[in-house]
Amino acid sequence: MSDWITFALPKGRIMQDSMELFARIGVTCPEMNEESRKLVFENPEQKFRFMAVRATDVPTYVEYGCADLGVVGKDTLLEQGKNLYEPLDLKFGYCRLVVAEPKSLQDSDNPLNWSNIRVATKYPNVTERYFAAKGVQVELIKLYGSIELAPLVGLSERIVDLVSTGGTLKANKLVEVETIAEVTSRLIVNRASLKTKHQRISKIIDGLEKVIEDEVRISQ
Amino acid sequence: MRFSDSQPETDLPKGVRDFLPLKAAKVEYLQQQLQQVYRAWGFRPLITPQLEYLDVLELGLGEGLQERTFRFDDRQSGRLLAFPPDMTPQIARIAATRMSELPLPLRLSYHGRVLRHTEQQAGKDRDIFQSGVELIGLDGPEADAEMIAMAIEALKAVGAKEFTVDIGQVEFFRGVMDSFPADERLAHQVADAILRKDSSELTLLLEKTVLAAAAREEILALPRLYGGREVLERAEKSVRNERSRRALDSLAQVLDVLEVYGVLEHVTVDLGELRGLNYHTGITFQGFLSGVGRTVCSGGRYNNLTAQYGFPAPATGFTFSLLHLLFALDKILDEAVVPACDLLIFSTGENLRAAQELACLLRGQGYSVARDILERSEDEALNYARQMNYRYLAVVAGEHQDIELIKLANGNREKRSWQQLQKLEL
Repeated sequence: MSDWITFALPKGRIMQDSMELFARIGVTCPEMNEESRKLVFENPEQKFRFMAVRATDVPTYVEYGCADLGVVGKDTLLEQGKNLYEPLDLKFGYCRLVVAEPKSLQDSDNPLNWSNIRVATKYPNVTERYFAAKGVQVELIKLYGSIELAPLVGLSERIVDLVSTGGTLKANKLVEVETIAEVTSRLIVNRASLKTKHQRISKIIDGLEKVIEDEVRISQ
Repeated sequence: MRFSDSQPETDLPKGVRDFLPLKAAKVEYLQQQLQQVYRAWGFRPLITPQLEYLDVLELGLGEGLQERTFRFDDRQSGRLLAFPPDMTPQIARIAATRMSELPLPLRLSYHGRVLRHTEQQAGKDRDIFQSGVELIGLDGPEADAEMIAMAIEALKAVGAKEFTVDIGQVEFFRGVMDSFPADERLAHQVADAILRKDSSELTLLLEKTVLAAAAREEILALPRLYGGREVLERAEKSVRNERSRRALDSLAQVLDVLEVYGVLEHVTVDLGELRGLNYHTGITFQGFLSGVGRTVCSGGRYNNLTAQYGFPAPATGFTFSLLHLLFALDKILDEAVVPACDLLIFSTGENLRAAQELACLLRGQGYSVARDILERSEDEALNYARQMNYRYLAVVAGEHQDIELIKLANGNREKRSWQQLQKLEL
């Protein structure tokens, strides 16, 4: 089994974008096009295996070596800080990790005066590091979804969340005040795999590097 | 869900574990296999203390380990004590002080347990089983190659099938960075991006930096300088600075020696490998097993360490993490490590003398033998033997009567006379 290469991909749009990109270097998986509820797909001729997992679980599968390669957003990598290689920026799935607050608050607010603020987010580690570097104490509230709701109901004054087009923020009367990071999807590689299967994996990395588009784009 | 049924009085702190006999036997086996290799290469064991004065220990600890050291007050001396988080500084201290009159080189081996603080994350060990060697007083490619060849032989000895020892050379990176501006924070970010092989991040960082085009090219090449021996040729083309070229030379010589040892098939090269950068001074290496994310061994040259204890000497060494090996090789070890005991001796009669004599006789022949002292039925004894991984149950009826041997793997029964038992073949 060890001459197989296994990918961990996040279910959904990023998985499609990834497979489209992989197809350009001849890495394909016909089995994936069939309607099914499978979580593992195989291409036995090329000896590739693809696992569909939750985006936030991709780094874990790759770190433990259950998958050799994975595709995941830089936001998740920043948050989890795993011991992985991330050799390629795949340029799709573009968005930004931002601090946002209600429009009504912005008028009277100056970020330089922040001292003790409450922030709701899916990204407690990134948020804590970001504000600590600015010397701002934060009270973190970890949420798992619908972060935009928090300021509306008074759970927190501010949020840290991903923004791609800004539509959701606008609809909830929130405005961006600061950008923490620009995010795109990355190819990640297990450290042992890069060494023990370096020929096959280098070929994939070198191939992809040539076909990645120049401009970043939003995946929708 | 209710958690109140659990027993809080008997739990353990996170990051430490109990090893029951089956696992403990595997750990012991790993240790013995490694030590056999060390012995075969002429290394002699050293035993280090479990407590040291913190200020003494810290002389030899890298930044990463200083903050992970368990420390506390010593009532006797009023000084701070520490549990060593790594054994290499201890070996360096001993070599530099108590053994400084001996002729060099010193070939020393060790095994033992060290403690480290970890982030509060599930599954990270705080109790670490180390086994390794230090080669003190030798510089140069042959000594570096000796460490790598030994690590490969050790990996074979513990049963690893598919593995790689990945070689780095931190001097190559230092040479490339010599022309980099003296901005420590930026240099740190650059090293971090190289460590993650993140070319796009690296490009962004360098865009912010005032740097000659040639130096920029040298740095940008680093994340891709990994693979087989051909990496050296690629690196040769990408660097011009003298320091990096010397590093490449030394690496090439190490590979030449490894070719003589016949282990090149297990070797890869990675010039972007910067782990231990603030500690190592030359060749570094790490052992990887196919399909396991963590390194099972790591090592390299550290020519500045013994000087911390007043005795400058070149040195190199490596250490294995036994628990990482155990995790990686669990299935292979199932075959290599036989369960505990050969025979359980059960007596049916009132007179136990025969059973006791048989136990002595068979132990004398080198078998591991236990007496089933409890008064119980044969079926109960058989059941016990099966659960406790015995190979055979010997049923003794009385003196001068034949013994029945029951093989637990398949239930086969056969009779043996005392005559036959004088030299038992199982």
